[in-house]
Amino acid sequence: MSFTAVALAYEAFPWRVAIPLGVAACSLYVLLPKPRHRPVFLGSLTGILSVIAIGVVLHRQESAPWPEQLLFYIFSGLAIVGAAVMLTQRKPARAAISFALVISNVCGLFLLLGAPFLMAATLIVYAGAIIVTFLFVLMLAQQQGFSDADDRTREPFLATVASFFLFGLLLWVIERSYPNANSLHELVQLTEEASAQPDVDAMLRTLGNRQMFLSRWQTEAQRWRDWDSTGLESAVINVEEEITPQQPDAALLRTRLRELAEIGQRIEASSRPKNLPAANVAGIGTLLYSRYLLGVEIGGTLLLVATVGAIAITGQGPRRRIG
Amino acid sequence: MSDPSYLLVLIPLLPLVSAVLTGLFGPRFLRGLSHLPTWAAAIGSCLITVLLLNGLLLTNDPSGRPIFGVDIFTWFRVLSRSPLGGPFNVSFSFEADTLSLAMLLAITFVGSWIAIYTAGYMRGEPGYPRYFAVMSLFLFSMTGLVLANNFLVLYAFWEGVGLCSYLLVGFWFHKPAAAAAARKAFLVTRLGDAGLILGIMLLWAKFGHSFDFQSVFTVARQEPSSPYLLPACLLLFCGAIGKSAQFPLHVWLPDAMEGPTPASALIHAATMVTAGVYLLARCTPLFVLVPEAQLVVAVIGGLTALLAALIALTQTDLKRVLAYSTVSQLGFMFLGLGAGLRHEAIAVFAVSAAIFHLFTHAFFKALLFLGAGSVMHAMGHIIDMRRFSGLRRVMPITHFSFACGALALAGLIPFSGFWSKDQILEALELATQHSESYGPIYHGLFAVAVFTAGLTAFYTFRAYFKTFWGETRVPEEALLHHGNGHSDGHDDDSGHGHHHADLHFTHDQAPVSIVPPEGRSFESPPVMTIPLIILAGGSVLVGLVLEATTHWFSGLLAVSMAFQTIQPPYPEHHLNWVLIGLSTASALFGIGVAAYLYLVRPDIPVKLATNLRWAYDLSYHRFRFDELYTALVVRPLEGLAVLSRFFDSVIDGIVNLIGWTPRAFGVLLRPIQNGLVQYYGLFMMVFLTALIAVVVLWGRQ
Amino acid sequence: MNTASFLIVGAALFSLGAIGFLVRRNLILMFLSAELMLQGVALNFVAFSRQHGDLSGQVFVLFIIAVAAAEAALALAMILMLYRRRGTLDVSVWQDLREPGVEMIVDLDEPKLDTTPDVDLPRLPPAGVVPAHREASRV
Repeated sequence: MSFTAVALAYEAFPWRVAIPLGVAACSLYVLLPKPRHRPVFLGSLTGILSVIAIGVVLHRQESAPWPEQLLFYIFSGLAIVGAAVMLTQRKPARAAISFALVISNVCGLFLLLGAPFLMAATLIVYAGAIIVTFLFVLMLAQQQGFSDADDRTREPFLATVASFFLFGLLLWVIERSYPNANSLHELVQLTEEASAQPDVDAMLRTLGNRQMFLSRWQTEAQRWRDWDSTGLESAVINVEEEITPQQPDAALLRTRLRELAEIGQRIEASSRPKNLPAANVAGIGTLLYSRYLLGVEIGGTLLLVATVGAIAITGQGPRRRIG
Repeated sequence: MSDPSYLLVLIPLLPLVSAVLTGLFGPRFLRGLSHLPTWAAAIGSCLITVLLLNGLLLTNDPSGRPIFGVDIFTWFRVLSRSPLGGPFNVSFSFEADTLSLAMLLAITFVGSWIAIYTAGYMRGEPGYPRYFAVMSLFLFSMTGLVLANNFLVLYAFWEGVGLCSYLLVGFWFHKPAAAAAARKAFLVTRLGDAGLILGIMLLWAKFGHSFDFQSVFTVARQEPSSPYLLPACLLLFCGAIGKSAQFPLHVWLPDAMEGPTPASALIHAATMVTAGVYLLARCTPLFVLVPEAQLVVAVIGGLTALLAALIALTQTDLKRVLAYSTVSQLGFMFLGLGAGLRHEAIAVFAVSAAIFHLFTHAFFKALLFLGAGSVMHAMGHIIDMRRFSGLRRVMPITHFSFACGALALAGLIPFSGFWSKDQILEALELATQHSESYGPIYHGLFAVAVFTAGLTAFYTFRAYFKTFWGETRVPEEALLHHGNGHSDGHDDDSGHGHHHADLHFTHDQAPVSIVPPEGRSFESPPVMTIPLIILAGGSVLVGLVLEATTHWFSGLLAVSMAFQTIQPPYPEHHLNWVLIGLSTASALFGIGVAAYLYLVRPDIPVKLATNLRWAYDLSYHRFRFDELYTALVVRPLEGLAVLSRFFDSVIDGIVNLIGWTPRAFGVLLRPIQNGLVQYYGLFMMVFLTALIAVVVLWGRQ
Repeated sequence: MNTASFLIVGAALFSLGAIGFLVRRNLILMFLSAELMLQGVALNFVAFSRQHGDLSGQVFVLFIIAVAAAEAALALAMILMLYRRRGTLDVSVWQDLREPGVEMIVDLDEPKLDTTPDVDLPRLPPAGVVPAHREASRV
C-alpha cells in the first residue's frame, strides 16, 4: 500500500463521525454491568456528550419548522439514552421501565412521521401490554436475593465492537442512499441564476470557476445516481461541451443550463418526503381490508395460535387445587 | 471303430470318479478303505489301455496310422474373430495314438502297483482318504494330458498334474519344510509353464490359428523356414524344463522328497516328470524342422544329466540320491530327444529311444523309490543312509528288488535300463555322424553321456552298498515302530531334515544306531512287497521282451501320429557291439569302484572327501544352486515386498491423513459450539456485519 | 424532517438492541432487547412510508406489532418453563447443547458488590390456592 493510497484512504474516511462513535462505544462498554466498580457518572456524561456530538455532526440543514426539529431531537435523544440505560441497568425491573421510556419516545417519532394510529397502537400494545407482561413474569420468576447473573455480561467487548461497527456501516449506507439535498439545492439555485443572466459573460461570471462548477455537478450526479437521475449525466456533459470553449454560444448555453437546473430540481423534489393522507386510520383500514386482507387473516390466526400455545405451555394441570 | 473310442473316455473318467468319490465319502464312510476306489480306477484304466492296444493292433485309420479319437464337448469358441485375427476354437477331445497308449500303459500299470503299495505304506495315516483322492485326481490329470489332442487341453491337464503334485508333496502340510517344498515345486514349474503358454499362443498366432496338433504340424510343415518356429520350439521346451526338472529349473525335484515316498515314486519318477518328454515327443514334427532347437534340448539334457550325477555322488539321504538320479535320467531322455536332427529316420529312432527310456525308467525308478519307501517304513522314517546298514539280512525281499532296480538303473545287460540307454547312446552316435554343423557338439554330448552312465552306476551302487551291505545296524526309531503304521510321531520325518544342516559328518562319525536283536525281521507286509516283486520283474524283463528281441515297442511307436511326416522305410537297427561294450564297461567300472570304495576300503572315501574338500562341498551342497536362486530371485523379491509394504504404509498414511483432516478440522471448530446461545448470536452478528461490509463496500462497483 | 435522520435513529436502536441481546444474561432482558430491535425496524418502516407517501409501511408496522405480541406471549411462557426447571433466569445455565468434549463455562469468582435486594417485589401465588388468612377465617 503506497503512501498516497494510505493518504487517500485517510482522506476518505469520515473521521468526524467515527471518533464520536468510538467514544460512545467506549462509554457504553464501560457502563455495562460488571461486578467491579463502574464509573457511572463519568461514563454516562461521556456517553451523552458523544451522542450529542454525533447528532451535531450528522445534522442537515432542514426546511422543516424549528419545533418539529426540536421535537425530533428530543424524542430521538431520549430514545437512544433510554435504550442505553436499559442496557446498563443491573436490576431487571428498572430495565423494563426504561424500555417503556424508549417506547414512548419512539411513539413520539411515529407522530412526527405522520403515523398517529401507529403511535397509539404501539403505546397501548407495548407499553401497556407487553411491558406489563414482562413485569408479571419478573415477579413470578423472582429469585431469592440478587442474582449474580444480572451483574455480569457475556462478551461485552466483542458485542459492542461488532454492533457499533454495524452501526457505522448502516450510517454509511444511509448517507450514500439519502444524500444531503442542501448542496444540490444550492447548485440548482446557482444554475438557475446563471441561466437568467442576459449575456454570456454575466452567466460565466455568475458561475464562477467553470471547472469547479462542472466538478460540483459531477459530484452531485455521482451522489444522486439512484434518484431518478435519468438524463442528469448527459445534461452535465452537454453543459460541459457548451461551457468549455472560449466563447460559448449564449442561447445554447442558456438552454443547457436551464435543462440542468430542471433536472436538478426534479431530483431534489423527489428526495423530499411525500405527504401522507390526513385520514390516517381510514387509509390504513382501507389498505388492510383490500390489499393486505390475507395478511390480516393470517395475523389473526397467528395470535390465536400464540394464545393457545402460551396456555398450553404453562398449563398447570395436576397442580391446580380447587379449594 | 466307435466302440473302442468310447472306452477312451473311461480311461481318465474312472480316476476322476474315484477322486470325487474318495473326496466326498472318504473321510466319513470309507476311512481305512479309501484306497478301494483308487485301486479300481487304476486297475480298470490299465485293463482298458491293454484292450485298446489290442484293438489298435487290429484296426488302422485311412492314413495308415492307428488312432482313436472322441470329442467330448466344445470347450470354447469365440465367434467374433476380428480382434483376435483368427478363429479361437478349442474342443475338449481325446485322441489316442500309439505314443499315447504307450505312455498310458506305463502310467496305469506302474500307477496301479504304486496304488496297491500305498495302501500298505500309508496305513493308519490321518490323511488317508485325502491322499487317495489326490492320487486319483493325479491319475485323471496325467491320463488326460497324454490323451489330449490339442495344446490347450494339454496345458489344462499340465496344470492339473502340477496341482496334484503340489497337493501330494505338501501332504503333511503342517510341517514347514513340506509346505515350503510344495510351494517351491509349484512356483518353479510355473516359470516353465509361462514359457509353455507363450509357445502355445505363438503357435496359434503364426501357424494357422489352431490349437489342434495335426493342424499346427501341417501348417508348420508348409512353412519350414518361418522365423517363428525356433522361438516356439524353445518356448515349448521351456515348459518341459520346468516340468521335467532340467537345468536351471531342477531345484524343485529334490525338495519334493518331503512328500510321502509313494507320491515320489508315482509323480517324480514315473509319470509327471515325464510329461515334458512326452510333449517334446508329440511335437517332433515341429522340432525336426529346427535342428537348432534340438541342439539346445540335447545340450541342456546333457548338462543336467552330468550335473545331477555329480551331486548324487555325495548325498546321504537315500531318497535324494534317487531324486537326483531321476533328474539325471530325464537329462538322458532329453539327450535322446535332441538327437533327432533334420534327418527323419534318425528322428524316429532318437525319439523312440527317449520314449523307450522313459518307459523302462518308469519301472525301475518306481521300484527304487518303493524300495526306499519300504526301507524308510521299516527304519522308523529314517532315510539317512548313515544311520543304517547291512539291511540285506533283515529285509530280503526289499533287498532283492532294490538290487534289480539298481542294476537296471546302472544299465547292465540284460536289464531293461541297458537297452534303453544303449539306444540313446546310439542315437547320439548317429547324430554325431549325420549332423550338418553340430557334429562336434554331439560328439561331446556322447562322451558326457558315457561318463554320466558310469557315474550313475557308481552312485547307485554306492547307495545300495551303504544301505544293504556291511554290518547290520538300525536306528533306534526302527525298534519303536514295528513297521506297524504311522499313527505315532509322523511329524518328524527327521531323516529328511538333516541334509539341510551344514555340518557334514565324515564317514566315521555316525549318530546312534544299534544292532537289532536276533531274528527280528523288518520286512514290509505283503501288500508292499508284492508290487516290489512285480516291478522288479518288469525292470528285468521289459527291456528284453519288449524291445531287444521283438522290437515291439519301436514298431509301436513308429506308427505313432508323431512321426506322420516321416515315411517308411524305417532305419534298420543293428546291434552296435562297440557301443554295447562301451556302455557295459562304464557300468561295470562304476559298480566295481563303488564296491571297492564301500565294501573293501571304506576309509578311502573319507580320505577323498577330506583331501578334495572343495569338490566334496560343491557336490554335497548341490552346487549352491539354491543359494544362488535365493540371492538372485528370492532376496530381491523380498526386498521388493518390503518396499511395497513401506509404500503401502505411505499410502495408508496418506489415506489416514485424508481421513484425519476433517476430524482435526472438526476438533478445531468444535469448541465454538459451547452451548451458550449468546455466543451463537455473537458469531452470527459478527459474520453478518462482515457480510454486509463486503456487499456494501465492494459489491456496488 | 428528512428521512435519513429517522433511519439513523432506527439503526441506532437496532444496534443497541443487538448489544443488549448479546450481552445481558437475564432471559427477560434478552427478550426485551429483541423487542428494542423490532422497534428500530418499525421506525425504519414508518420513515420509508413517509418518504414514499405509501401507507403500506405503516400497515407492515402493524403486523410487526401483532407478531411481536404473539412472540412475547410465547417467549415469556417458555421463559417461565425454563425458570421452573432450573430456578434461575440466567441463560448461562443452559449449555447442554454444547459439543461433547467441550467444558461447561462457569463464571470465575468475582467480588460481589451488593447482594441484598433493596425491595421485595410482591409475589403471586399460583391460581386456585386459597391464601392463608382466608383459610383461617373459614372455620
